[in-house]
Amino acid sequence: MYSIVSTAIIQGIKAVPVSVEADVSSGMPVFEMVGFLASEVKEAKERVRTALRNSGFGLPAKRITVNLAPADIRKSGSGFDLPVAVAVLGALGCLEGAELSGFFIAGEVGLNGKVQPVRGVLPMVSGAKERGISRCIVPLANRSEAQLVTGVQVYGVESICDAVQILRGEHWEEKQPAESSDRNTGEARQPDFADIRGQYLVKRACEVAVSGRHNLLMIGQPGAGKTMLAMRIPSILPPLTESEQMELSEIYSVSGLFAEREGLMRVRPFRAPHHTVTVQGLTGGGAVPRPGEISLAHKGVLFLDELPEFLGQTLEVLRQPLEERCVRLVRAYGSFEFPADFMLVAAMNPCKCGYYPDMQRCRCSQSAIERYVGRISRPLLDRVDICVEAPPLAFDELNRAGDGETSEQIRARVMEAWRIQKERYRGENFSHNSQIPAESIRRYCALDAEQERYMEEIYRRLELTARSYHKLLKVARTLADMEQSERILMRHLTEAVCYRSLDKKFWERG
Amino acid sequence: MNYGYWLAQADGISDRVRRKLVEEAGSAEDVYFLPERSLKMLAGETVAERLLLAKKNDTEADYVRIGAAGISFLTPEDEAYPARLRQIFDPPYALYVKGRLPVRPDKSVAIVGARMCSEYGRVVAERLAHCLAQKGVCIVSGLARGIDAAGHRGAVDAGGVTCAVLGCGVDVCYPRANERLYGEILDRGCILSEYPPGTQPRPGYFPQRNRIIAGLVDAVVVVEAKERSGSLITADLAIEQGRDVYAVPGRMHDALSAGCNGLIRQGAGIVSNIEDFVRELGVWTEGEQKQSAGENLSLEKEERLVYSCVDLRPRGLEELLQKTGLSMPVLAESLTGLLRKGVIREVFKNDYIRQC
Repeated sequence: MYSIVSTAIIQGIKAVPVSVEADVSSGMPVFEMVGFLASEVKEAKERVRTALRNSGFGLPAKRITVNLAPADIRKSGSGFDLPVAVAVLGALGCLEGAELSGFFIAGEVGLNGKVQPVRGVLPMVSGAKERGISRCIVPLANRSEAQLVTGVQVYGVESICDAVQILRGEHWEEKQPAESSDRNTGEARQPDFADIRGQYLVKRACEVAVSGRHNLLMIGQPGAGKTMLAMRIPSILPPLTESEQMELSEIYSVSGLFAEREGLMRVRPFRAPHHTVTVQGLTGGGAVPRPGEISLAHKGVLFLDELPEFLGQTLEVLRQPLEERCVRLVRAYGSFEFPADFMLVAAMNPCKCGYYPDMQRCRCSQSAIERYVGRISRPLLDRVDICVEAPPLAFDELNRAGDGETSEQIRARVMEAWRIQKERYRGENFSHNSQIPAESIRRYCALDAEQERYMEEIYRRLELTARSYHKLLKVARTLADMEQSERILMRHLTEAVCYRSLDKKFWERG
Repeated sequence: MNYGYWLAQADGISDRVRRKLVEEAGSAEDVYFLPERSLKMLAGETVAERLLLAKKNDTEADYVRIGAAGISFLTPEDEAYPARLRQIFDPPYALYVKGRLPVRPDKSVAIVGARMCSEYGRVVAERLAHCLAQKGVCIVSGLARGIDAAGHRGAVDAGGVTCAVLGCGVDVCYPRANERLYGEILDRGCILSEYPPGTQPRPGYFPQRNRIIAGLVDAVVVVEAKERSGSLITADLAIEQGRDVYAVPGRMHDALSAGCNGLIRQGAGIVSNIEDFVRELGVWTEGEQKQSAGENLSLEKEERLVYSCVDLRPRGLEELLQKTGLSMPVLAESLTGLLRKGVIREVFKNDYIRQC
């Protein structure tokens, strides 16, 4: 007898449909699996055979053939166990009356027949819905993410027996997963800008950076509060739209990080990988790539602390995603695309000891300072629009009560700035000031004669390059938008000059 | 043939031995033509052999080559050899000079100090050199980063004479960052060294060249120096050679002033005011008083507020934001106004000091 079950495999963050066919015929008693299988999928037959026997379904001495179609996609991952088990049961005739084609099934099984969670259930279920499947059997632990897809009946199963009951249409009572105590993690108090004392300059820079979606670099002595500031940036980013929440949830589902979260990703992510992170850890990697840190920071903040300590090569790979807002990885089995639309926030010390340019305390030699800064790649620095210093806090400020604005107040202004930009760039393929291409700069960042003169003076005095000049104009555009000013004014230019990126000149003092 | 050059090129002989030989034989030429036996009696076996070995080298061709490169060669026998240098304990036998050696007898002052100096030190060194150079004083220093470079810079900007003593060949610019300054010094004064052209810098050479700096001048001013600094070696050598030593005082916890304050404790002169110092040197001429900038300038209200918060210690943006209580756009605009009026200077990104 023959049966067929729908499941899926994750490629990138998309689900590709896979059918599991099983056939039982007389012949040598063999359990055979074919269909371009990775070794964890080949092992499924041992797990399935034992799990079925322990669930009360002994396999007869017949030839069982299982095929995973389409045969040209390499199958990997452990999610095929449950569909294979169901397909075999179907072929054995144990599921009489079941309408297998109306179900989507995914899950790993243990030898005792228990169903274990798998990665990527959310995109799998939404993919199934697109194909017109309305009933999904997923591991109980993955049920909450599967339920995010509306219009689909989701069954969270604990064992093969549960699945059989559902398929047979028998009465089956769904278990409620233990209500987790921190169900409301999404509403838990987020770090807030009001907690920060002093650092007016950096706070302002954060607001400017977020308003125009500029990348930000903070330079300051150890303990100045750079990390604390960076952690609060997501709190002033406008709330995620529903489709962004869904996209983000899919990324986290594929990464197997969804269970920690419970519910849709409503908060913008903040990712701070350690500086020993590898290229693969950052961009995503593996034979079948999984999302890396930059994709986990999608629509949120990627914070790189101690920027010069990162390996040069790892930083270089950020260049393409920063431009294209996604990362494309090519492997032997195909190319995979992960969204990576993140805001880069980096922090560094000005030198190894951290006190430069305070020469009374800095112990570094000139060459040591140059070596330290030289480790950051210029092309990456070129993509940072705003660069700002975070001086250490004076003692009296430490004891002063937090007097700053709350993130909520700042966020309201940011949203206004975003709205202005969205309106202005309606017909364009970009939506923020930081993304204005070079050829449109003159159109969107027009200057009058006096401003032109000033910028010429600045261009010469600071020995700017064409790129850094454009960055100044884009930041000035953001500053103008923050004041809802149609034109860029002189004060916007002068402030933008204060946020200019590190120029080489300043590290080389005669 | 230049016999002095031959003597200077002979390897493995100290300057002291060279001077002794010349003294006893009469001149470098006499040393050259001494018969082997008398040479051995005079100089001893080893030195004599080394001298004879040097005769085999074509030192004359070398001499012509460095001459063609614009480098002159001096020994104490030459008239042009700096008189002050002859008096020191261990004058260099050979001196390579690129550019024009200042004519005697002029006043000269060494301005020395830390490589990694503070902005305050840099400004003081530059102002001091500027004032002195205007009065015709030759500024001598070592072309290192920091204070040395600021001293040269002040003299060059004042159109005065300055002289750099290197710890490498005179045709080697070390550090490379001072390449522009190197050229400007050559236009206005000279670069000199006791090491043959082409010699690369080595740590051991720098304390040696400090004795030449101290030897060339009437007074040494240490602008900024940490507790253990090469500049203090220069100061010690200057005292040994009977030169005056001055130090620019600093605050008591500033690491970069520890050396200077130590010198003052030991009895060095204090440079507490540039004009007083110039008077003390005896080169003060009553005349044009430099008006201090800022006071009779027309500044906007905010600009005046910002200006009042800026002094000779670099102030960062964050500090200015807190002190003035202005918002970032207003502060940025005021700073730009002040910068364009030339009353403040941005010494490091977003670090401002008063221009003086």
